[in-house]
Amino acid sequence: MPRIRRESCIAYALLAPAFLLVAGLVVYPLWTVAATSLRIGRSMNIARLDQLPLGFANYARALGDEVFWDAALRTGLYAVGSVGPAFAIGLGLALLLDRDFPGRNALRSLMLLPWAVPGVVAALAFLWMFDASYGVANALLRRAGWTGGDIAWFTDATTAPWAVLLPAIWKCFPFFVLTLLAALQSIPAALHEAAQVDGASAAQRFRHVTWPGIRGAAMLAIVLQALWVVKDFDLVFATTGGGPSRATQTLALLIYEEAFQFFRFGQAAAIGVLLLVACAALSWLSMRRDDHATR
Amino acid sequence: MRRADPWRWVALAAAIACAIVVLFPLYWIAMTSLLPTSVVLSRDPPLLPDPALLDASAYAGVLVRKPLLRWIGNSMAVTLGTLALTMTAAALAGYSLSRFRTAAQRAMGFALLASKMMPAALVVIPFFVMFTRAGLVGTRLGLVLANSAAAVPFATWLLKGFFDAIPRELDEAARIDGCTEIGAFLRVVLPLAAPGLSAGAAYVAIVTWSDLVFARTLTSKPDDWLVTVGLQSFTGEYLVDWASLMAAATISVVPMLLLFVLIQPFLMRGLTQGSMAN
Repeated sequence: MPRIRRESCIAYALLAPAFLLVAGLVVYPLWTVAATSLRIGRSMNIARLDQLPLGFANYARALGDEVFWDAALRTGLYAVGSVGPAFAIGLGLALLLDRDFPGRNALRSLMLLPWAVPGVVAALAFLWMFDASYGVANALLRRAGWTGGDIAWFTDATTAPWAVLLPAIWKCFPFFVLTLLAALQSIPAALHEAAQVDGASAAQRFRHVTWPGIRGAAMLAIVLQALWVVKDFDLVFATTGGGPSRATQTLALLIYEEAFQFFRFGQAAAIGVLLLVACAALSWLSMRRDDHATR
Repeated sequence: MRRADPWRWVALAAAIACAIVVLFPLYWIAMTSLLPTSVVLSRDPPLLPDPALLDASAYAGVLVRKPLLRWIGNSMAVTLGTLALTMTAAALAGYSLSRFRTAAQRAMGFALLASKMMPAALVVIPFFVMFTRAGLVGTRLGLVLANSAAAVPFATWLLKGFFDAIPRELDEAARIDGCTEIGAFLRVVLPLAAPGLSAGAAYVAIVTWSDLVFARTLTSKPDDWLVTVGLQSFTGEYLVDWASLMAAATISVVPMLLLFVLIQPFLMRGLTQGSMAN
C-alpha cells in the first residue's frame, strides 16, 4: 500500500529534526550522567574523565555523607515551604478571579506577571527588599514597631532558610492561579446553582462542588511546581549561594558545587542520579495515588 | 451565576489590593532604579517617593560602567537562535505527532518527562563535557543547543495540542485541491495554529532569557555573558550599587513583561494544555 508507506515516510521525516535534538541533548546527556556517576575521583581535565576508575563509590559516599542528607532534607523543606504557600495563594486568587467583576481580565494578567520575571531578577529584588540596612522590609517592620534591629534575612543562618522561600513562592503562585482558574471555569455553573438551591453553605459548596472539580488539575500543578522548585538553582544561588555555611544548600546547589568548584564530576553526577530517581518515584507515586483516590 | 451587585465591588477592591501586594517587588525594582543614591540608601525609604526626586542617572551610569548592552545583545542572539531551532523542530514534530500514528509517540512522551525531571544544574555537567570536547564552550551555538534541550520536547507537545484542535478535514481538503502533505501543513495548518505558535514561542523566549545555569557555566569571558550572568555578578562586589543593579534589572525584565502581556491570552490556553500533556 504505497499511500501508507508514503505517509509514514513523511511522519518520520517531520519528526527527524526534533528526534536528533532530543537524542543528542536529552537522551545522550542522561546516559553521560549515568556513566559519569560511576567514575571515581576528581579531574580538572574533562577529556581524561574516561580514564578514572569505575565503581559505585560515589553513591556509597553520597549516601554515607551528612552533607548529602542535610541538602536532601533542605530540598524537601524548600519544596514544601514554597509550593504549599504558593498553592494557598494561587487557590485564593483563582477563586477571587473566578468571580465576575469589572477589570477582571486586566487584573488577572497583572497578577500573572511574576511568572515571566527571570529567576535572577526575582532573587535580586527580594535580596534588595530584605537587605539588612536599607531594605524596605526591615524599614516597614521598624516603622510598625515589631522589630528594632536590622534583620539580615538572607545572610543569617537562622532566617536564610525562611527568606529563600519568598522569591520561590512569588515565582510559583501564578502557575497555580493559571491552572486552577482554568479548572474552576470548567465546572458547570449548573452544579453551583443546584447546590445553592439545595441550601448548601459556601464551605459545603467548596467541599462538594468546587474541590472535586479542580482536584485533578490541582494535584498535577502541585507535582509540576514541586519538581520545578526541587530543580531550582537560580533563586537560591542568586540570593544566598547556598550559604551561610550551607544553611540553604539544596541538592541542585550541592551538585553544582561538587562539579564546578571541586571538579568531582562523578560525585556530582551520582547525587544527580539519586535526585532524579527520587523525583521520578515521588511524582509517580503521587499521581498514582491520585488516580486511585478519584476512581 | 448572578451575584448581588455590591459583591462585585468588594471582589474588585480585594483583587486590586492583591495585585498591589503581588506586584510590589516589580514596583520596588523600578523605584530603586529611578531614585538618587541618597534616597536609595536610606534607613526609612518612602513607599511613594516625591516624583520630583526621580531621575534616570542610574541607567546612564550602569550603561557606562558595565557592558550591559553587550550582555543584552548576547541574550537576544541566544534567545532568537533557540527560538528558531526549537520552533522549527517542534512545529514539524508536533504536526507529525498530531496527524500520523507512529511508534514515536511514546518516545517523545519519555523525552518530555525526562527533560521535565532533569535539573539544569545536573544536565549542565554532560553539556560541559560534550561542549568542551566539541569546542562549543563560550559560543552562542552552545547556549542555543543547551536551551533547546528542554524547550524542544515541551514545545512539541504544546504545538501537538494546538494542531489536534485543527480539524483534519482541512488538510484533506487542501490535498484534494492539489497541495502536497507539506504544502497543506505550511499553507493551511500552520497559519491556523498561529496562536499556539506564538504561545509556544513566548514560553521558550521567557525560559531562555531567564536561564542562568547554562550561561554561567558554558561561558567564561565577561564579554560572552548573558544578561542574567551579568546581573548576578553585581552581587559579588564588595559594595552592591543597588540603584545601578535595579536599573539593569529593569532593562532586562521589561522585554519579558511586554512579551508576556501581549501573548498572555494565548499563553493561558497554551500552558494549561501543555501542562496536561503528561
